[in-house]
Amino acid sequence: MNKKREREEYLEVLWRIKEDGIEDPDYLKNAFGSDFEPTIIEDLEQAGHILTGDNGSIVTLTDAGYEYARKIIRAHRIAEKLICDALGGDFESGACEFEHILNTDLVDSICVLLGHPRRCPHGKPIPQGDCCKTAARTVQSPVMPLTELESGMSGRVAFINYSDDMQIYKMDTLKIKPGGMIKLLQKSPSFVVSCEGGDVALDDAVASNILLWKEGGQFNAGGENMLGPGKCRRKRGFGFMRRKSA
Amino acid sequence: MNNPGNIEIKRKIAVAGLPNTGKTLIFNGLTGDYNLVANCPFTTINIKNMPFSIDGDNDIEQYELIDTPGIFRFNTYSRSEMVTRDLLLFDSPDMIIQCIDAAQLKQSLSLTIDLLDLNIPLIICLNAIDETVRKGIVINSQRLSAILKVPVVESVATTGQGLDELKNAIRATFINYNKSLTTAPRNHYESSRTSAAPVSHHDLSRISTTLGNHNDLSRISTTLGNHNDSSRVSTTHRSHHDLSRTSAETMTHHNSSNVSSLSHIHTDYEDGISAIYSLFPENLSHKRVWAFLLMMNDPFVLSGLERLYPKEEIEPVISKAESIRKHFKGNIGLEINKKRNRWIDDVVEKVVRRQKLELEDFSQKVAGICRHPFWGVPVLFAIVYVMFLLVVHVANNIAAWMESHLWVPVEELVVSFLPTGFWHDFLIGDYGVLSLGVANAVITVLPILSVFFIMFNTLEDIGYIPNLTVLTRRLFQKVGLSGASVMPLVLGFGCKTMATMTTKSLQSPREKFIAIYLIAFAIPCAAQMGLNMSILGRMGTTAFLIVFSVLFVVEVTAGLLLNLLLEKEDQCLFIQELPRIRMPEPKAVLVKTWYKLYWFLKESLPVFIYAALALFTLDRVGVLDASKIFLSPVIEGFLGLPLEMVDALILCMARHEAAAGLIMNLIAARKLDFVQCIVAVTITTMFIPCFANIMAMIHELKFKSALGMAIIINVSSFLIAGLLNWVLLKIFV
Repeated sequence: MNKKREREEYLEVLWRIKEDGIEDPDYLKNAFGSDFEPTIIEDLEQAGHILTGDNGSIVTLTDAGYEYARKIIRAHRIAEKLICDALGGDFESGACEFEHILNTDLVDSICVLLGHPRRCPHGKPIPQGDCCKTAARTVQSPVMPLTELESGMSGRVAFINYSDDMQIYKMDTLKIKPGGMIKLLQKSPSFVVSCEGGDVALDDAVASNILLWKEGGQFNAGGENMLGPGKCRRKRGFGFMRRKSA
Repeated sequence: MNNPGNIEIKRKIAVAGLPNTGKTLIFNGLTGDYNLVANCPFTTINIKNMPFSIDGDNDIEQYELIDTPGIFRFNTYSRSEMVTRDLLLFDSPDMIIQCIDAAQLKQSLSLTIDLLDLNIPLIICLNAIDETVRKGIVINSQRLSAILKVPVVESVATTGQGLDELKNAIRATFINYNKSLTTAPRNHYESSRTSAAPVSHHDLSRISTTLGNHNDLSRISTTLGNHNDSSRVSTTHRSHHDLSRTSAETMTHHNSSNVSSLSHIHTDYEDGISAIYSLFPENLSHKRVWAFLLMMNDPFVLSGLERLYPKEEIEPVISKAESIRKHFKGNIGLEINKKRNRWIDDVVEKVVRRQKLELEDFSQKVAGICRHPFWGVPVLFAIVYVMFLLVVHVANNIAAWMESHLWVPVEELVVSFLPTGFWHDFLIGDYGVLSLGVANAVITVLPILSVFFIMFNTLEDIGYIPNLTVLTRRLFQKVGLSGASVMPLVLGFGCKTMATMTTKSLQSPREKFIAIYLIAFAIPCAAQMGLNMSILGRMGTTAFLIVFSVLFVVEVTAGLLLNLLLEKEDQCLFIQELPRIRMPEPKAVLVKTWYKLYWFLKESLPVFIYAALALFTLDRVGVLDASKIFLSPVIEGFLGLPLEMVDALILCMARHEAAAGLIMNLIAARKLDFVQCIVAVTITTMFIPCFANIMAMIHELKFKSALGMAIIINVSSFLIAGLLNWVLLKIFV
């Protein structure tokens, strides 16, 4: 069995324990059930990633361990986001493989590509990378904020960055949701979009947090199968995929 | 009636639905009553009950109909939506009619899921079906009905089409429901045990089978009426995944054999709902809805449950729900939404057909111009100017005609009997009951209001006013208002009382305070606006422009000051649904205008008369003159107004419209010049908000803050008017 990989799995669970504030001391053990290996805990302790209590049951992350776990979590959630948004598939199993392969640079470039998503498809925060802090952008990014769409054009929502659950619920009731089509009617003085037959006014802060697929956007399984006539060019694949195949 | 010996309790039917889906139109149509309707969200703010009857084959069924404010979904922040949710959850009506705007079916279906969870008989009323046809959207309502297993009635509420079908559906639904009750006798609103309600459970489980997406939907429905959750869980969760590594968990499936060892890691929210279901007190109604709200971490769910049970009794459920949310992999709210959306998309795909060809949308075009960053402003000014011209040239002429043909004969008649003396003064003197009371209301104010309301109601019917939020948002943002508070402020131009009440939906106390203050301060309501136009029209367009510029500057300054003074907090975001622009319905506009005028006369005529009586008494006793002498430094010196304006200010406290008549008389008597007229109109617009508005302020704020606010508004209106007088004198004299 790949030891590095197993160690990373344990660190990941420890991160989640910390993130969710779980107080159950046996959480780690239960999470792995019969596969739980005390030797991995020892390995991690030797590597300086964790500290164990007297009886070996209470485990906390050291600073180094925390940083390491953060990288894994970031890779995992970015990967989830990529697979979920781009391919609409079973992102979980793919992401699990991804997290152990991706190096920091690769993760950052995917992050740039996705427009620095803040939350994974489950709604958990994605730890920020250096690229997010500098808000790096490349022209290849397959998504763009609604603010960059031209008036009169339609686009499919890739994901929505939000700070508060209620905000996303409110948008959900207006059917502005990942996978849904929206048409931008105007940008100024406020953004007005048409979505599922209703017009909705938004301010710039909301509009810039709605990320759209740049072209067509047939990757996500939304309910809306119809696009406006000629309003939306359909092409297979997005930027980097097309270039590869060309 | 049918069961002699039993006391017949009228069955309650609630009309619910998203904002601006025509609930009040249906309510008016069924009851024959009239309540204000507008092409605008949140026109209805309060619940209204009204009896109504349906003629059957051989009897008349009596019901009670309940009109409710718009609600998007049960899980909400907004207090105005809470009003409806509380009604549905606590008072459990016997039937719910959900109004759905047919053009926005998807938006409404989220609420439909919530309503189906209530286990109360439901009828869906697909409204504005004519507009969807025009847009090239065809909804197969029979299919929708078959999928949802509830009756679906197509209607055009603005013209009253579909009301008969709706009545038949109500009758039929109750009859069917009673039949099902006889096979399983049970009190249906006790949904506590009911979850196993034969009708609804059966119906809902069929929703899932009709839909392709079996896996998700059986969950939506099964737990609804399911006590034996554990047995169901194993049948619905078919897929087995290797859970030895937690990261291999999937969001929608989990290994049921591992449930025991992983009981605290929930990957499916339905498990969570089932888990807390059994912990609820035995006799709680609508358990599923409560469970859902707990899962969504709804802000009002705790206070709701605490209304029903002591804290200790619900403590275990709440802590369980908390732990489920905490250990849920991912965001449980998003998961629930995602599943619901999948179901909704599926339903809509099955029932809605669109024409491929996108029709040229006239309403979009008009709306686009009204909200255009450049053209929107001239359009707004043009509308206001046309209204101004019509009020000045049409309404003032009607008033003049009525004056000479209706008032002059009465005056002559009184003079011929009572040339002078007490009774002459009492009836037609300066403070006469007939002159200042009746004639002021009916002959001076009424024609102006009629003309103005026809135009204003047309704008409301078109749906123009809510679109102003788009134009004005940036401005409001500068004065510390963001998001949800833009709409109440814009609505203030209609009725300030109603606008104050819509601030209920604001979460931030700071924004609420600013919004209520600004609504109460320099915004003229529709009636005030009409009268101001009429008064200022006598002085020319310049006067009109000056007054409204001053009011605008005052309002913005007040907002900026409040914004600076009040402690900053996170701004809530602006997400505002806009009504569709549509052609005005002349009949609806006229009926609405008629009712508004009728209500004006009913409410104000007595006030006008009492105010005249009060002034007459004060005058006779000598208090009026004394107060005028006392106030003369302020009125004459500071404001530069004639002393008669004291009367107008006193009338203002009773009713703003009453003061307008007096100001017009002063202008006619050449006692007010250009500058004085401007100052007079400015001060009466800002001065003490009307009584109803103050009551609404007290209702929304605490008594102390409302009172403080009223005092500040009055003092500042005097100061501003004095300053204005000083400036204008510098410029014009």
